[in-house]
Amino acid sequence: MARVGVFIGQYHSDSRIVFDALASYAANLRAVEKVRLLGLRPKVDVKALADEIRRERLDRIVLAGDSPGYFKPAFTRAFELAGGDPSEVRLASFREHGAGLADATERAKAILACAVHGVPYPLVAVPRPTTVHPATLVIGGGVAGIQASLEIADAGKKVYLVERSGTIGGHMAMFDKTFPTLDCAACILTPKMVAVHDHEMIELLTNSEVTRVTGSPGAFKVQVLRRARRVDEASCVACNACTEICPISVWSEFDANLTHRKAIYIPFPQAVPSAYLVDPAACTWVQSGGTKCGACAKKCPKGCINLDEQDRSVEIEVGNIVLATGYEMLDAHRVEQYGYGKYPNVLTSIEFERMTNASGPTGGKIVTKTKELNRRLKVEEWVANPQGPPPRSVAIIHCVGSRDPKYNAYCSRVCCMYSLKFAHLVREKLPDAACYEFYIDMRAFGKGYEEFMERIKAEGAHVVRGRTAQVVEVDGQLVVKGEDIVQDRLVQHPADLVILAVGVVPAQGTVELAKALGVPRDADGFFSELNYNGDPTYTERGGIYVAGMCQAPKDIPDTVAQASAVGAGVLRSISTGHGMGNLDSLTLSEIEERAARSQAAER
Amino acid sequence: MAIRVNPKLIDELATYGAADVQNCYHCGNCSAVCAHSDDTFVFPRKPMRLLQMGLEKRIEASLDPWLCYYCGQCSTQCPRGAEPGETMMSLRRWLTSRYDFTGISRLFYVSWKAEVGALVLVAVLTCVGFLTYGFLNGNIAHYDGPTAFLPSSVVHVFDWVMAVALSLLLLINAGRMWWFTTVKNPRIRPRLASYLKALYLLPLQFLTQKEYARCESRRPWAIHLSLMLSYVTMLILIMFFLKQIQEGPAIAWPFHAFGYVATAGLLFGVIHAMRGRIARKEPHLKHSHESDWIFLVMLLVVTLTGVVQHVLHRSGLELAANIAYVVHLSLVVPMLMLEVPFGKWSHLAYRPLAAFLAAIHRDALVSQRTSTANGEPGSTSRALAAA
Repeated sequence: MARVGVFIGQYHSDSRIVFDALASYAANLRAVEKVRLLGLRPKVDVKALADEIRRERLDRIVLAGDSPGYFKPAFTRAFELAGGDPSEVRLASFREHGAGLADATERAKAILACAVHGVPYPLVAVPRPTTVHPATLVIGGGVAGIQASLEIADAGKKVYLVERSGTIGGHMAMFDKTFPTLDCAACILTPKMVAVHDHEMIELLTNSEVTRVTGSPGAFKVQVLRRARRVDEASCVACNACTEICPISVWSEFDANLTHRKAIYIPFPQAVPSAYLVDPAACTWVQSGGTKCGACAKKCPKGCINLDEQDRSVEIEVGNIVLATGYEMLDAHRVEQYGYGKYPNVLTSIEFERMTNASGPTGGKIVTKTKELNRRLKVEEWVANPQGPPPRSVAIIHCVGSRDPKYNAYCSRVCCMYSLKFAHLVREKLPDAACYEFYIDMRAFGKGYEEFMERIKAEGAHVVRGRTAQVVEVDGQLVVKGEDIVQDRLVQHPADLVILAVGVVPAQGTVELAKALGVPRDADGFFSELNYNGDPTYTERGGIYVAGMCQAPKDIPDTVAQASAVGAGVLRSISTGHGMGNLDSLTLSEIEERAARSQAAER
Repeated sequence: MAIRVNPKLIDELATYGAADVQNCYHCGNCSAVCAHSDDTFVFPRKPMRLLQMGLEKRIEASLDPWLCYYCGQCSTQCPRGAEPGETMMSLRRWLTSRYDFTGISRLFYVSWKAEVGALVLVAVLTCVGFLTYGFLNGNIAHYDGPTAFLPSSVVHVFDWVMAVALSLLLLINAGRMWWFTTVKNPRIRPRLASYLKALYLLPLQFLTQKEYARCESRRPWAIHLSLMLSYVTMLILIMFFLKQIQEGPAIAWPFHAFGYVATAGLLFGVIHAMRGRIARKEPHLKHSHESDWIFLVMLLVVTLTGVVQHVLHRSGLELAANIAYVVHLSLVVPMLMLEVPFGKWSHLAYRPLAAFLAAIHRDALVSQRTSTANGEPGSTSRALAAA
């Protein structure tokens, strides 16, 4: 048994720790031979200290206090002089490990106990002896999930990537350009998507959902519902024969309901996996119980369509879980004054993204919607047709449903910049069209963003400071009403196309997932990180991480950065065998017990 | 000229009702949604800004608060809960206290206890005065005839004296409003002709309140108009036909018919306003200042005591009718003496005057703008022309 000397220093006069209580606690620990209170900011007499260590025959020194590392050199020197092993000078850092709050003394005791036992404090939080399962589950196949999967898989660890829709890529796959560089979004994303698909360490589970999670950090058991794709992923070559023959047309979610798709479809040509899937809610065969239609199955030259395939549930075992479930747009119908749903040419930002996308329904042409007859339903519908008339003026309204307690009190962070990007695209594609931006405050906070804003202004977009109050129709012409507060006057701009920069909200199913995983959500409904500044990728639940929009609104660079950081946390957990537990929830006795166990395991 | 800033202005205004001015982040939603705001008078955002900056004199010179009729659209749509509608209401109270040269108005708005105290004082004085007159010159058991306790001729004279005094006070305050907003306003150089041209607005606005009707919902306007017309009817009856309506016991139908309709109108209007303020559902009735309640309660008890006095008199209970009459007078006199020149009621002068002055300001600004050679055309017309 080691003979331990505990030296408690007080380095801040405002410490909440009761030092006498701490000293008597330390004296009662089994290995402790010597406890000395050093007082406030002690001066260390190295020689006297060395004598004291020699006299007490100490072979481990615990230096305790707030930021005790400052005194470590002096103590190490004294210990060396006394003939000790310098690696046995251990720190019990109170403030650094959160012993500064109401229960400061109790936490300080726990930290001290760990140091006396020679166990790093953060490591005791995961029960021993557990080995962390080397596989990782990533929930959500957007850019965050893709990036995290690649980081982990490239390090040689198994990843299950579960995606709800038929393809990975998420929202970023819907975009044409990224701000502020105006890079082609697909050029960045699609190689990553293909890399995920081809990776030997990644198992891609599209059209699937996580239904139940049991177990504990390091050893989770996850139930995944694999919805029937009804097309064999491996043998489908995406020849499009099935789509050509399918008689059913429904609105295309991927194209933001601007145009139609068939009941058997591929969301977009570059989808990964590059295989078609059947929408069971629209398919005649599925709806009729296998008595009607079935044309696609007969037509398929590879015979890879099985319309009778059933959903199934699979169970996987993983050590860590990454949440990357992303976001969705706030329902623009709720912001009634802008007339979304009432006027066909009031679009949400995601609809406009699809319209300007070169692979979108209009081939990248910006048009106003036209009325077309839906022959099957015998109703007239407003559709974005590439032959439709281009708008003469476009109004972009910022902060729709954001920074307003009636909808979202928070700023959605991306809208200002994507709106500026829209203005650029409008000016580029329709140089004769007027483009108005209505904003409250322009939030251009990132690298190159301010410069991007100046560039867009110089390109001739009319930037109006003032929130739009209403979009109304006057004699068939949409008019946007607002106050230009810089010019101090009311403005009414006619606009053929109005784009609402709708705010973002957590994706559908976030509540259920949070419940299933035991991960708390913040006031806005996003997953809570462990510590906003210090641990933005961890959650309070050990072994579960967050990346991207599901934690808080953020742009693509921040999302990718966070996803990569998650990779580091997961890999550390796998390689050390310790996860990061929830330290706050452990009692002192629990920590002591675990520390003692760790010590026993070490011997 | 140096610009004086009052950094305590927002705190000061809070005692008049507006508590959330600081929340405003100037998105301009309120001005754009307002039916009354236009290129010349941009509000409520601009007054909110002036308040945040503490530009007292600029607000004193502003007509904006009087052009707002508080439909509440701005407050409903405000993304910050800054309550621009209530701020405009509070500014009207604040301006009322500024226009009043006696300082009494300010005292009443700042302290409801002072207002109630003054009401009680005037009520006691009135009561003592009429009782003294009655006991010296008449018989309290007689309502009509030569020994009447309070003959209509006497009350009539008293009414006219009071009317002249109140009109004078109100005229002086209205004059100060004109002085602050138009004469001392460095940005307005009004032309004499526009005064004459806009003169018709004074009676028109007073009688129809057509500006109020431009609000999103017309219901508050209709109710306010019926209340106002009932009140004016009562006033005409009292000022010119007191003899016919006071004396009895026969009911003089050609006059009383008007009185009954007006009483019904008053009761309906007051009770509707009270219920609305208790329910707090409609945006313009969500926030109530103490002065609003004092006004409504006074109006209600005045109307009710009038009804009681009338019923008692016509049922032949002359003694009781005389007592009710004294009580009625002891309520109606303080209400008029304090509310008309110093309280909420003063808006009967300020509202039409604001509509009148707004027309003059608009005229002046247009001529000032066109006299500048390269004057800037309105943004709306320019944008429409561009498209």
